[in-house]
Amino acid sequence: MSAAGQEWEDESPERLYVITGGRTGAADTFSLDLVTLIVAKTSPRPGAQPEHAAIMRLCHSPLSVAELSAYLKLPVSVVTVLLGDLLADGRVVARAPVPPAELPDRSLIEAVIHGLQQL
Amino acid sequence: MTWRQGVIKSGYAETGSAYWQLPLVICVPTLPSVLRPRTSPYLFDWLKVLMVREGSSPGGLRPASAFVWILPAALTVIAAVVTAVLVPSDARTPVLWTGGVATVAVALLAAETARRGRALDELRRNSRTQAEVLARQEAVTVRLAEELLPEVVHRLGQAEFPEDVLASMTERLAQEVREAGLTPEFTAAHQAVLRSVLEAVVAEEDLRESAQRAFVNIARRVQAIVHQQAQELRDMEDRHGRNHEVFGDLLRLDHGTALIGRLADSIAVLGGARPGRQWSRAVPLFSVLRGAMSRIIDYQRVELHSVTEVAVVGQAVEPLIHALAELLDNATRYSPPQTRVHLTAVEVQSGIAVEIEDGGVSMSEEARSRAERMLQQAQEGIDVNDLGESPRLGLAVVGRLAQAYDFQVSLRPSAYGGVRAVLIVPQDLITTAPATGRAHGIGASSGPLDERTEHPTLPRQPTGPVPSAPAAPAAPAAPAALPRSENVQEDVPVVTERTANGLPQRRRKSRATAPAQPAAQAPTAPDTADQRSSASDAAPEVQPGMWLAAFQSGLSGEPGGAAGPKSDESSEKSELP
Repeated sequence: MSAAGQEWEDESPERLYVITGGRTGAADTFSLDLVTLIVAKTSPRPGAQPEHAAIMRLCHSPLSVAELSAYLKLPVSVVTVLLGDLLADGRVVARAPVPPAELPDRSLIEAVIHGLQQL
Repeated sequence: MTWRQGVIKSGYAETGSAYWQLPLVICVPTLPSVLRPRTSPYLFDWLKVLMVREGSSPGGLRPASAFVWILPAALTVIAAVVTAVLVPSDARTPVLWTGGVATVAVALLAAETARRGRALDELRRNSRTQAEVLARQEAVTVRLAEELLPEVVHRLGQAEFPEDVLASMTERLAQEVREAGLTPEFTAAHQAVLRSVLEAVVAEEDLRESAQRAFVNIARRVQAIVHQQAQELRDMEDRHGRNHEVFGDLLRLDHGTALIGRLADSIAVLGGARPGRQWSRAVPLFSVLRGAMSRIIDYQRVELHSVTEVAVVGQAVEPLIHALAELLDNATRYSPPQTRVHLTAVEVQSGIAVEIEDGGVSMSEEARSRAERMLQQAQEGIDVNDLGESPRLGLAVVGRLAQAYDFQVSLRPSAYGGVRAVLIVPQDLITTAPATGRAHGIGASSGPLDERTEHPTLPRQPTGPVPSAPAAPAAPAAPAALPRSENVQEDVPVVTERTANGLPQRRRKSRATAPAQPAAQAPTAPDTADQRSSASDAAPEVQPGMWLAAFQSGLSGEPGGAAGPKSDESSEKSELP
């Protein structure tokens, strides 16, 4: 990531705090996880902030926050802030990731492993 | 006696020489009144003519003047002899004696007088030539003071070599002095004056230059540290991007570093150097404006409005960022903290006009003209030495940059009540060529889906299932990723021809890299990322365009394909601008 960051630094004169307007995402109440899926509801408005527009474009089909962060080459906090704006405007929808409860219980798997090993 | 007085008077008056009066006064009373019928008036007329000529033209009578002194003596002798003849014989001896003494006395006086007259002539001639020389010297000196020396200073100001200036000036001076016919000493003295003035000016210039170099040098060091710091901060921001508290602290540090950087840039600019780093490629105007915002304290108060989609050529990026940062700083500093500062950029006939409008205190006409004067002054060349006690760097820096890069800056009262600063970037610093940078490049250079917007029909079919199954996101997510990537692969050749917005090269590259990017990013992405991405890039999408994957991995700096693709990238980069 550091190499990419360096490249970015060479490419752009603006700093991250300007992109987020000084917000760090800490105050946001949205429960955005790295694997939260984001889907755009509309196409980007003309004249929108480029990062917003890019998210809107990227999220035509669901993308996780982590992927957005990677594509945009922006830290997760920044993406979170940007997504917070878009969510507040209702231009994207966040979908919860796979609920952990739906996955098989860890103890069950361990029990299976034990059973298999005892065979 | 009336005729004699008249003669004496006229002779005295016309010659103007006091030394003629004495022999006449002595001589005339010695003439007895009986002589009057014989000697008058011819003798006195002749005497008068002689005296007049002698007095009026001292130069022309030179040969005769030697004998002029004999005349009164001769007259006295004649008068004495005649008197001696005429008087009774017993009085003859005393008369002869008197006559003899008188003759000697007159002769002596006349000789002395004539000598003095000649000396006086000599003096007069001398003083006349000296006055002429003096006048010529004065003329040459005045010329030296009023023309040559200012020209010397001016030419040194034009950065001519002092040796050249001295040589040409010395020659001109020597020629003038020669024309005026003055002595070599005078020439030498003037040349010495010229040389010492030149030396003084050069010494002062050197001093100023070395001071400026020192300033610039220090500024450069600070800039280097700040740049390094900014890069490291950026790395840290990436590393700690998920921890909001740390991230927030890093952003604050980053901001502070940017402020220090701007100060160092200002010092460098005032020292006559470039503001800072160089940009090898064009940068979108939007990025430039946000770059300017990122260097002021109150960037949150700046509202960035519509910006035309153009880019600023590389060499003008940093100066423009810096000038705008100074203007923005001015605007935010001199307006109430709760007001907004509006930043827009619109296209105008002569280029791009960037407007900065604040709702602050209105500038009085006087303050406005003072600020404009300062800008003007700075454009004519202000340096660190002229700043004074409490330097107001901002306008000086803006003026300096405006002068160097042909920006036009004007400060006008704003409709909001504050000041409206307009900076016009000339057309030749603007380009519509593909630009790098966050703002407009972001959609093009990253993300797999920007093709969707251009070909809404193609992607719709494969991505169809995804919106239709929102309730079970986990299961369709993986299939959704697969067709999408394949789809993009299929799109690549088509899309290359369908470029939009005049950004063909860039776009093609971005599209080509787009499908492979998940492969490149997946390992670096947080490990909580689901297997979806790794599953998607594992088998199916490497097949159609393996070279693309290698290329992309090289681009993103992965060790696997580092050697080859890097060079590809660099060659492509070099083609681009």
